[in-house]
Amino acid sequence: MSNTPTRDIREIIREEPLMHRPILRVLADGPLTVPEIAEALGRPADEVLFWVMGMRRYGMLAESKDPTDDGYFSYAAVGGGVPS
Amino acid sequence: MDHYDVLVVGSGIGGMESAIKLGDMGYKVLLVEKEGSVGGRVILLSKVFPTLDCASCITTPKMAATIHHPNITAMTYSEVMGIRRGGDGRFRASVRQKARYVDESACTGCQLCESACTVAVPDQFNADLIARRAAYIPFPQAVPKKAVIERAGTSPCIDNCPAGIKAHGYVSLIRSGKYEEAFQLVLDATPLVGSLGRACYAPCESGCTRGELEGPLPIRRLKRFVADRHYREMEGPGVTPAQPNGKRVAIVGSGPAGLTAAWQLARNGYEVKIFEAAEEPGGFLRYAIPAYRLPQDVVEQDIANVTALGVQIATNSPVSDLGALRRDGFDAVLLATGTPLSSGLGIPGEQLQGVVGGLDFLRGVRHGRAPDLHGRRVVVVGGGNVAMDAARTARRLGAETLVAYRRGREEMPAHQAESDDAAAEGVEFRFLAAPIAVVGDSAGRVQGLRCQRMELGQPDASGRRRPTPVPGSEFMLPCDEVIAAIGMLPDTASFEAALPIAADRSVKVDPHTLQSEIPYIFAAGDVVTGPTDIARAVGQGRRAAHMIDRWLTNRPLTGFHALDDRLAAVDTAEVLGRQRRYTRHDPLVADVQHAALPRDFAEIEPPMREDEALQGAGACLDCGVCSECGQCVAACPPSAIDLSMRERTFDAEVGAVVVSTGYKLFAADLKPEYGFGKYPNVITAMQMDRLIAPTRPFNTILRPGDGKVPERIAYVMCTGSRDKTVGNPLCSKICCMYSTKQNQLIMGTLPLADVTVHYMDVRAAGKRYEEFYQQAKDMGASYIKGRVAKITETENGNLILRYEDIENGGEIAEAEYDLVVLAVGVQPNRDPERLFLDEPLGLDDYYYVAEPNEDLNPGKTSIPGVFVAGAASGTKDIVDTILHAGAAVAQVAAHLEQENRTKKVPV
Repeated sequence: MSNTPTRDIREIIREEPLMHRPILRVLADGPLTVPEIAEALGRPADEVLFWVMGMRRYGMLAESKDPTDDGYFSYAAVGGGVPS
Repeated sequence: MDHYDVLVVGSGIGGMESAIKLGDMGYKVLLVEKEGSVGGRVILLSKVFPTLDCASCITTPKMAATIHHPNITAMTYSEVMGIRRGGDGRFRASVRQKARYVDESACTGCQLCESACTVAVPDQFNADLIARRAAYIPFPQAVPKKAVIERAGTSPCIDNCPAGIKAHGYVSLIRSGKYEEAFQLVLDATPLVGSLGRACYAPCESGCTRGELEGPLPIRRLKRFVADRHYREMEGPGVTPAQPNGKRVAIVGSGPAGLTAAWQLARNGYEVKIFEAAEEPGGFLRYAIPAYRLPQDVVEQDIANVTALGVQIATNSPVSDLGALRRDGFDAVLLATGTPLSSGLGIPGEQLQGVVGGLDFLRGVRHGRAPDLHGRRVVVVGGGNVAMDAARTARRLGAETLVAYRRGREEMPAHQAESDDAAAEGVEFRFLAAPIAVVGDSAGRVQGLRCQRMELGQPDASGRRRPTPVPGSEFMLPCDEVIAAIGMLPDTASFEAALPIAADRSVKVDPHTLQSEIPYIFAAGDVVTGPTDIARAVGQGRRAAHMIDRWLTNRPLTGFHALDDRLAAVDTAEVLGRQRRYTRHDPLVADVQHAALPRDFAEIEPPMREDEALQGAGACLDCGVCSECGQCVAACPPSAIDLSMRERTFDAEVGAVVVSTGYKLFAADLKPEYGFGKYPNVITAMQMDRLIAPTRPFNTILRPGDGKVPERIAYVMCTGSRDKTVGNPLCSKICCMYSTKQNQLIMGTLPLADVTVHYMDVRAAGKRYEEFYQQAKDMGASYIKGRVAKITETENGNLILRYEDIENGGEIAEAEYDLVVLAVGVQPNRDPERLFLDEPLGLDDYYYVAEPNEDLNPGKTSIPGVFVAGAASGTKDIVDTILHAGAAVAQVAAHLEQENRTKKVPV
């Protein structure tokens, strides 16, 4: 499976601040699911989930009301989007 | 020493119950909890079985009662370091109260510090499913709801910086895209951001823990990155000085120490005037560091930070009478004149035409008086950085250049990068060559340098091997110019009458306060220390400014936290031990193209691109955890954050001890066949409890592999319990019921989800437990009897369980699921073993705290006066934990009353 984690969780989580701007950039055109963000960034979905949930926790992202038929929520940037 | 009746160690449900009941009885209780909130593990659960009561609803009243009880002193974020029994039978406990770095009385729990924090770490309160910040409130229902700043120590990069610049801080700010904030953090220490970004020898990088892996972060170049960006995009430093305080300070010398001191004092409202002997300000930055390393415009941009605050710089203004400055109305004087003199060679022929001091040579070139050296042969004598700069400058002026050094390459004081760069630019080296005479022609011009070959003996006081002459080994180095770069000296002759001057011509001051014998005169930088480097001079300038401010405001000359009161550096091994594996980050090395015969003074190191800066900063390991970026301090409305806080240790005398340290959960990766830690969609039941809880880390129950709402969920019971292969033969007692609880909650949250439980046998022995189990089955949970042998992963992240289906003929079957939950077992928490320093606390065969007479005296341990409450003595559900705590409380009361009667111990 493509998203088999090979990296230590601490290392993935440590990169969350680094990934804020790339994630906000790919969300600039509209909400995306975790696998869609992962594909846009070229990063494993399980790592993207850590980053997306961290950003959601601190108010940078918000989820869609309902999941897609495939069972995925979409996430949208909250507020100003990509910082200048 | 503080006195209490009882010490309760741990504030889970058993600890809180014990403390509250003892407090209700009138006993004075000291409760010590290692986390930042009371509540233990129960507060993190979704609901409790079999009632499905909300865990928060039943726990938060106890948490509040614990904290606010008049007879309980609850110390969170604290640890019991050891307990000894005194001669009177009572106990002396040593308690370490860790620093929260937050004033609890001021913190409102607003969490703005968390939002501002630039360091992300796994959230232990969410079972590592999500990031928290280094600044954090443990969980939403925390009691007390006060922030904690997690600091493991000073990051080595900061600890190594003699200027006290918070390298980790600006690296983490860059990582977060906060470039201007990063610039401002460096600016908080010194105005010389651009100069340090180019010419500092980066002791921060020498300390970088990444250096133990593949190589250090490019910390210096990251500083240059933010400086370049600021100077390109911003007008002025962006700093507003304090209101003028009416005091004036004169600074003699405008090198790194003087400029830094001026910056710090001007920011604090002082009127500062710098007196510079040269025709332009900058000192060493201006005239000693060649432009290919530090362009003039960068020096000017840095100096403009200082003048933007109103600092006056009078050039061509040498000062010889410091007292005159006082008479002119300056309240204090800082002497920061550096080491502008070149040391002489002390050999015959030194006065010949063509012999020049290293600093004089560099100064001349910087001031537009560069000699034409095309076709000329230059010998540079010395092995330090000035020698390297002189040699590379001579190359740029067209000379064939040779460095003669009396020791070997290993002993050269020049930084390795400098000597390597010199060699790359065509500078030749002659090691073990000591000059003994400069030879001239009849016109008095240099013809050559007579040298003697040396050999290295034993190390001298500097630690380097001492060179000794080889008899009869003299030889001549033909040359047209000799540049003597063997050392630098302060120029303090004019101050000798007023100030004590050392034999090496440095000014004698108190090394801590930098104050001289004349109270209003301070001295800093190389004029005090002898030749060092920019970062050390900056540190001296900061110190001098701090001390002058303290002196002029009649305060003790103490409190220089930037360098004097840092936390101990975090241990590199500890940092590296936080991860099991590391991804390689190839070190970012500047793409410097050295020309074998460089012809100009253009800057040779290219600027860092933004993507490089992010890549470089992204490799930071957050050694100290908190990066000291200062964002939380700026964000905190009540100014509650205080990074100068320090932990304290105190002793408490107690009559009895209750051990309520709870249990550990089985580490699921010790069953590698189940793939926890390898397959993201294999989680533990504790993680599932967090996903179900109202304060869940995700927006709903999602599988961690890709955020999908799971439709088919499997439970693997008895993971790490009833399993001799992992050393835990015991039944964990609570797994069946917590899994059944989760099954019901999942089916309530995700009505379309199928839940299947792979079990050996379900143990539902408890009040309404069997009914609870049947209810889960009635709701649709499937139960398959048989051990799961192995879990594998499919391409889409689903999981294949291979299991024995005992009730269907014992066939080996496989089933596919979206998500697998490992119902992990319970294990003893062995922390209590280290608590008792005089006599070992008895443990049972499975390492739980032993109750030697469990049947008749539950709660009593092997040590008289020490009791155990809750799961520390064996797995218990919440109801049994409460009951057991009640038993322990009764035992404590009986013990204390008996002690009162027999020993008349005051309580």
